[in-house]
Amino acid sequence: MEFFDEKKNWNENNIKVGRSWKLDELRIKSNTDLHKLWYVLLKERNMLYTMEHECNDQVKLFPNPERIDKVEESMKHIETVVRERNVAYYQLETGETGERPVEEVVNLFGLPENYSQKEYFLPKFMNTRWIKTYLDHGYINSVAVKKFYRLYKEKQHNEERKARNRDFNHVQHLLKRFPDMDMDALKAEYPNVDIEKAKRSKKARGHYMPKY
Amino acid sequence: MRIYSYLCKKVGDLTVKYSNLPESYIKRSYEQVYWRNPKGYPQYPAAQIARKKFRFTTNRPWTLQFARQNERGTLRKKVFLEPVGEWKFFKGDRVEVMVGKDKGKQGLICQVIQERNWVIVEGLNTHYRVVGKEKDFPGITIQSEAPLLVTTGVKLVDPETLKATEVEWRFTEEGEKVRVSTVTGRIIPIPKAAEETVDYKSKELYVENEAKDTAASDVTKITFQPKLCTFEMDIMESMGIKEDRVPAKSYWY
Repeated sequence: MEFFDEKKNWNENNIKVGRSWKLDELRIKSNTDLHKLWYVLLKERNMLYTMEHECNDQVKLFPNPERIDKVEESMKHIETVVRERNVAYYQLETGETGERPVEEVVNLFGLPENYSQKEYFLPKFMNTRWIKTYLDHGYINSVAVKKFYRLYKEKQHNEERKARNRDFNHVQHLLKRFPDMDMDALKAEYPNVDIEKAKRSKKARGHYMPKY
Repeated sequence: MRIYSYLCKKVGDLTVKYSNLPESYIKRSYEQVYWRNPKGYPQYPAAQIARKKFRFTTNRPWTLQFARQNERGTLRKKVFLEPVGEWKFFKGDRVEVMVGKDKGKQGLICQVIQERNWVIVEGLNTHYRVVGKEKDFPGITIQSEAPLLVTTGVKLVDPETLKATEVEWRFTEEGEKVRVSTVTGRIIPIPKAAEETVDYKSKELYVENEAKDTAASDVTKITFQPKLCTFEMDIMESMGIKEDRVPAKSYWY
């Protein structure tokens, strides 16, 4: 019955637990400890998912759903620490990270993509079932891809322009509302806005007599 | 993706600290996603339709009241927030109220709402409200504090002169970051009450859940021994798994 919580917790409304494991606390633990802790967390996560499902079935409120996030955060941190140790070993022994290789490619739509490489028993030139890159097929230079890419770029550009105008408008309104505001803080929050220009604009003028 | 980072920025870090909840939980408790494209299909971009504008009030983002205030279809007027730079007000600070009927009075901050540049000062800037009023019951009048803006509403109190003062963040010679009063140059220490969360008053006073929590002594114990092997090699060694097969030659592409 380890998929379910202890029986005394079944009708609890509030099951208070501590925080998740931090990276620095996991870095001082041995590999065996991390291995054991991983399975403790995995069982806990299974238990939490089961209890959540059961609570949903019985139309009850699942107490403290943040426990799931805490467990997942801890598991993520364990993975990070294990990866760090393995990378250190491979860097020392082989000069490479030992991680799965990632390649920057242009995908079917003509967009840049990070392609995680896969392991094959056959070398690339012998593998007849391996789909050749889109570049080899000439898709990238096709009319369809070029048209898509142009429209995509246009959309991106429009979004950027809108964000720029939105920020500029917002700064104008802020200047109108808070004329004595801390300009350094404003500059830090909106680095891409020309504040001098915004100050000069009509929208930034408040409904009061100018000070000069 | 863009919406995600948009959401992250909004909840203040003091709010996250006070809630004692993982940030991912806070995010998933208040976000409202109406549609999300299925994952793992190359033809769908990672797009979602979600609520972008939230009204932050004294209700905390992970509560039901917050969800009710931001129900689907409710649109409220935009709130303009004055940029304040680095945050200077913490729970337990002694501040002087600069506006309103309690102007000139000093009090302790009992709540910080960073999303709106607000602080609530204990017992000051209050109004009366009637709760529980029914046909045959007149209701109970209670006094409740209204929030004050940190930019104009309150100022920190200098510990030497006991008067309102401007404050700056500076570094001591030991490299500690401290708040310094610009009038007298006195350091204004961050109060102990700033550590308080919904679960405990201070870290030492936290009561462990013995069935679930790891004991503090176990957490701080150092068991790591540097060894020239990977994690997997070490686990195999400790579990007595021997593997002398040589993997076949493989290619990555």
